[in-house]
Amino acid sequence: MNLIIRGIIQIQEITLLIWRVLRGIFRPPFYLREMIRQMDIMGFGSLTIILLTAFFTGAVLALNTGNTLQKFGVQSVSGQLVATSLIRELGPVLTCLMLAGRVGSGIAAELGSMLVSEQIDAMRALGADPIKKLVTPRIVALVTMAPALTIVCDMVGVLGGLFATISFQGQSSSVYISSAKVAVTYNEILGGLIKPTVFGFIIAIIGCYRGLSTKGGTVGVGRSTTQSVVDASILIIAVDFLLSKLIISLLLAP
Amino acid sequence: MTNKFHAIEFKEVSLAFDDNVVLDRVSFAVRYGESKVVMGGSGTGKSTLLRLALGLIKPDSGSILIDGENITDYTEEQMMEVRQKIGMVFQEGALFDSLSVYDNVAYRLREQHARESEIEPVVIRMLRFVDLEEAVDKMPNELSGGMRRRVGIARALVGSPKIILYDEPTAGLDPITARTICELALKLRDLEEVSSIFVTHRLQDIEVLASEYVVRDDFGNLVFEHEGDRMCLINTKFIMLKDGNVIFSGSDKEMRDTRDPYIRKFIDNER
Repeated sequence: MNLIIRGIIQIQEITLLIWRVLRGIFRPPFYLREMIRQMDIMGFGSLTIILLTAFFTGAVLALNTGNTLQKFGVQSVSGQLVATSLIRELGPVLTCLMLAGRVGSGIAAELGSMLVSEQIDAMRALGADPIKKLVTPRIVALVTMAPALTIVCDMVGVLGGLFATISFQGQSSSVYISSAKVAVTYNEILGGLIKPTVFGFIIAIIGCYRGLSTKGGTVGVGRSTTQSVVDASILIIAVDFLLSKLIISLLLAP
Repeated sequence: MTNKFHAIEFKEVSLAFDDNVVLDRVSFAVRYGESKVVMGGSGTGKSTLLRLALGLIKPDSGSILIDGENITDYTEEQMMEVRQKIGMVFQEGALFDSLSVYDNVAYRLREQHARESEIEPVVIRMLRFVDLEEAVDKMPNELSGGMRRRVGIARALVGSPKIILYDEPTAGLDPITARTICELALKLRDLEEVSSIFVTHRLQDIEVLASEYVVRDDFGNLVFEHEGDRMCLINTKFIMLKDGNVIFSGSDKEMRDTRDPYIRKFIDNER
């Protein structure tokens, strides 16, 4: 089949999936317990990798920019630099790329293997709606957990930067912290939380779509898993560009 | 109309995936209390037939009636009602890997928000019926292939559906376990008056389903008997699918006497 036609069909199917989720989201049954379980698995379960990623990213950011700032004699703003980069850009994108790799792939693999082993059909045969039972809880979990993890990522990243500036650049912690505080405004934070909300939705919907459209047995599950990570990562980065433009002109314009 | 006498009825049902015609104007009916054994090679649309009856997929044309109700154009929500009447036994059991045997069997009742006090006796009764009471707390991956199918049957029986669809429940099992599965089907057919479609390509299954029956003796024990001169089973009929068409429909005797080369080859090869 033609590549373009296939692309259009996929967009159509994803739109249909989103529509079916939205249509059912306010109608019972709600499967609250399943939502909370997914939040725990996806949110709390991803905490370790987010903490590690955030800390080292913040540290390396301070390390790399330190020399340049010193050249211009403005080493004292390194706190602001690290905090702004993290809140605006690195926090949301890094967190969500990690989630795409860890959680998005897991969703695609789980739903894909359920599909090929006829568990999805069995679910429908036993009177449950797979969209409500499987897709909606995962979307809700990621849409809420991605911003929450981003906040953690931002905070730990700033701490990582603090660690690097005091240990390797001999700056005092109070200079770093007071400079970092300048970056933390309400509009910055709001802009920094819109992004992961959107990205979380993208990761969940792509993971579910890829999983539920798995074809070709166990080999197909592997293919869906890989494809979900690739699709979600590319979409996150592309959408990040568009959202950045939008957020800058709406919230951060001087 | 003859609808009233049929638990399941297919009228001129056609289905194609892209250019691949799976079913071509297939018509047949299952009477109340009757078992319809569907045979045919791989990829002849046997499983598709069951998925259509359950409304998991929709036909391109034709109509499907369940219990006299035309379900062809039903929405997913309307189908949920119809599916209460149907139990489906999937090929490999299709148990939910993340749930224990107990939770698997309880699934339908949980979806209906039944209370735990109502669920437990039903689950135990169903597991006792398939003789797997001791496996109640196990996870599906701890079970053998035959046990998984039996749990699948127990799960399908919750809610006492009067229609049961078996999708190759004996495929890949040893003869003894396969016989156990067939005996369960006989018990449901002869004691519970369940109507069913039984998809298989094993001749041993056909042998059991066509010639044996089960009765309860004076002491309440179950006895399996062979049909003989005194009585002849009429509640089991056969259809054979080939290239999306029904090429044979009738009793086992008619099937054995047929001259159709494809059916002859099928019967002789399997022996």
